[in-house]
Amino acid sequence: MFTLHELRRSASLATKVFIQRDYSDGTICQFQTKFPPELDSRIERQLFEETVKTLNGFYAEAEKIGGSSYLEGCLACATAYFIFLCMETHYEKVLKKISRYIQEQNEKIFAPRGLLLTDPVERGMRVVSFWAVLCEGTGLTTSGVPGEAARKWGLP
Amino acid sequence: MPRSPGTRLKPAKYIPVATAAALLVGSSTLFFVFTCPWLTRAVSPAVPVYNGIIFLFVLANFSMATFMDPGVFPRADEDEDKEDDFRAPLYKNVDVRGIQVRMKWCATCHFYRPPRCSHCSVCDNCVEDFDHHCPWVNNCIGRRNYRYFFLFLLSLSAHMVGVVAFGLVYVLNHAEGLGAAHTTITMAVMCVAGLFFIPVIGLTGFHVVLVTRGRTTNEQVTGKFRGGVNPFTRGCCGNVEHVLCSPLAPRYVVEPPQLPLAMSLKPPFLRPELLERAAPLKVKLSDNGLKAGLGRSKSKGSLDRLDEKPLDLGPPLPPKIDAGTFGSDLQTPRPGSAESALSVQRTSPPTPAMYKFRPAFSTGPKSPFCGPGEQVPGPDSLTLGDDSIHSLDFVSEPNLDLPDYGPGGLHAAYPPSPPLSASDAFSGALRSLSLKAAGRRGGDHVALQPLRSEGGPPTPHRSIFAPHALPNRNGSLSYDSLLNPGSPGGHACPAHPSVGVASYRSPYLHPGAAGDPPRPPPRSFSPVLGPRPREPSPVRYDNLSRTIMASIQERKDREERERLLRSQADSLFGDSGVYDAPSSYSLQQASVLSEGPRGPVLRYGSRDDLVAGPGFGGARNPALQTSLSSLSSSVSRAPRTSSSSLQADQANNNAVATRPGSGSHRSPGRQGLPSPPGTPCSPSFSGPKAVAFIHTDLPEPPPSLAMQRGRIGTCSRGWGRRGPPRVPPGLHLCHLGRPEDRPPLRAPWSPAAGAPPRGAMCRLHLAASSLFPSLSGP
Repeated sequence: MFTLHELRRSASLATKVFIQRDYSDGTICQFQTKFPPELDSRIERQLFEETVKTLNGFYAEAEKIGGSSYLEGCLACATAYFIFLCMETHYEKVLKKISRYIQEQNEKIFAPRGLLLTDPVERGMRVVSFWAVLCEGTGLTTSGVPGEAARKWGLP
Repeated sequence: MPRSPGTRLKPAKYIPVATAAALLVGSSTLFFVFTCPWLTRAVSPAVPVYNGIIFLFVLANFSMATFMDPGVFPRADEDEDKEDDFRAPLYKNVDVRGIQVRMKWCATCHFYRPPRCSHCSVCDNCVEDFDHHCPWVNNCIGRRNYRYFFLFLLSLSAHMVGVVAFGLVYVLNHAEGLGAAHTTITMAVMCVAGLFFIPVIGLTGFHVVLVTRGRTTNEQVTGKFRGGVNPFTRGCCGNVEHVLCSPLAPRYVVEPPQLPLAMSLKPPFLRPELLERAAPLKVKLSDNGLKAGLGRSKSKGSLDRLDEKPLDLGPPLPPKIDAGTFGSDLQTPRPGSAESALSVQRTSPPTPAMYKFRPAFSTGPKSPFCGPGEQVPGPDSLTLGDDSIHSLDFVSEPNLDLPDYGPGGLHAAYPPSPPLSASDAFSGALRSLSLKAAGRRGGDHVALQPLRSEGGPPTPHRSIFAPHALPNRNGSLSYDSLLNPGSPGGHACPAHPSVGVASYRSPYLHPGAAGDPPRPPPRSFSPVLGPRPREPSPVRYDNLSRTIMASIQERKDREERERLLRSQADSLFGDSGVYDAPSSYSLQQASVLSEGPRGPVLRYGSRDDLVAGPGFGGARNPALQTSLSSLSSSVSRAPRTSSSSLQADQANNNAVATRPGSGSHRSPGRQGLPSPPGTPCSPSFSGPKAVAFIHTDLPEPPPSLAMQRGRIGTCSRGWGRRGPPRVPPGLHLCHLGRPEDRPPLRAPWSPAAGAPPRGAMCRLHLAASSLFPSLSGP
């Protein structure tokens, strides 16, 4: 059982690698797929790229202007935007999907490599960060549930 | 209207929005009450329905524009900023669809603003796709609420048109009785609507143009794409579609209450029992946090126990000697200091160990003693007021243990501090602050200088003053750790092995504790109490009496000397890293470098040397000075508070980048030994090497300088000779190159032993004995 304080403290000892946004296509949300050298020893390049590309795909889906977004806009107008009190927007639905994906990736792929992927929404979608834990087995994983630990770690 | 933290309620800013709301609601209500009934009867029931719907639409969009988060970026965490240090330029260019767009560093939010993002000074936030700050809704218009603002304008225009038109119909049909109440009111409403008709319609038309062109108000007004191509446009239809039909973007700023409260936050205090077994946790080598993380792994277990047990008062603190003579604002002790740490914990986010020096990030404070590692002191103490500056004296000593880490580590440890003045680089500012504090205390500036300008190679003592090594990492600072910082590893001076801690301890420690084994005072674990005013820690560097500080310095000097002895066994010029250590810093911290050459000179000099140091380092080393000045200029630019151009930045970067290389050429004695920039070198060598470096640049032979000081021995190591140094007899040879030139090791000098014979004494000892005659005996 560990506290938030401990998590933050421990997490703060990690090396953090930041993957910046890729603005080459304008302000749509996508992240650079360039492999950071700091992760060279930690993760395979292909795995990293696949993860970032998947994230980019999610965000593209979230921002897509299409049928669902039209409908949502019209409904919102018609109800004088009260619909936002009851319903979750399309973007928010995709964000939930993204955070589930990130958690899954952390559990299955990154945690065994001593990495932790943070959700970019915490930082305003400006960066994706990988936290490379330096000292493993220092009590962080005492919860016994990697997913839970990862989720707890996903704090800014 | 998301408000940034710390802003006070200003009633004046609500006047426009209140006026707009009042006029809108009031006029429309009057219209519906007085005009619409007749229109319903005379024209059609659809009139009020239509007007009603439009009015509801106006209200809804007005509310959304007013209350919706425009797309505020949360402030960047400290860890994210570590990649951008003093050298980082004010602007970064990104390529957007083939067009270079400049991203400016936001000093408030601590990140490079994404394209189209701008910082609103009214809201004090960076807003995504910033359009403008609208006083009529008292909110920024950005990515998330631009659509609602635009629709508000459209619907308001339509509403005003409808009100004016139907009002006119009414008035024209009641022209004979203009004095009647209904008619008068209708005319008043029409006047109000007519008054705002032109501005609102004008603004609406303006925004229609912006939307079709795919620009924001900010971009239009600042002329960003004047005569150029807008990289963000999607075509006319695409732009309109994007504004009106794109999905609602999510909020980035998460309110604090939403953070999981289920987890218990424990203050970063250590339990006394942890400190009792804290011998291994004593002063850790100060480092950039990475090593601290590694090095601390063994102590982590003990730290983990922190949170399991309740806090309680620990053993009494070591004596606060002459506290009254220093720091006028020093108050009682430990609970206050720990309390300050506690309140820091409460008021500021936990500061990672690596980033202790982050200034201006946390509002807190100020205690130099931190709990397990990350919490607090260093960076917080920087942002403090005068009363806390004293704490900077030792918390702020940066660790120059470069060798183990590359520049990246440095950046981690010493992230840039944009709020600091441009001329002070990070640790330079710390030093200057500490020096100022010393000066403020009434002028022991010179005397304290040697103690402070540790710009040269770190010594084990240095680790005392580095925040990471701060008191055991457990927040305690014992005299033992001050005197014997190297600690567990034992950096005992080989030349004075018998100078044990005990010999220094007795005069200064609490009488009761004199004979005890080193036990760090549990300052850090003060009870976690209710809100008590934060008080500075009692035992701080500025707090110690001069004798203590002198003895500390003396011991440091001695150990440094011993290290020199050892190092010279390797080679005379073996390590060409004089400017390696300072250079990787100096690129970030100009004043480090400016003090760097001076530092070791001061360290190894007598008091006279100290006084002459700056002149020595400056006037006699024009080459050094030019590089220093170029460094200073580049670093002064660097903290991103200036608005220098990118070209200037690049030029400076080039200048900076070439600096280490040029440094190696300046020394005639070192021409054969280029110093590769960034080559990690042992910090223990950089001091003497810095000294050597400076000395080689002297136009005249150093011994003359030494002679001015009355036959003080000089370090022949750096006189630019490769051969065996020819040292005049009588000079103390402890610094000299060859083992055979060194005097035989004698019994360690202790205060009780008295001063060694002058002729054979090294400059260091001479200085020490002259400075502190009380210690050196009769």
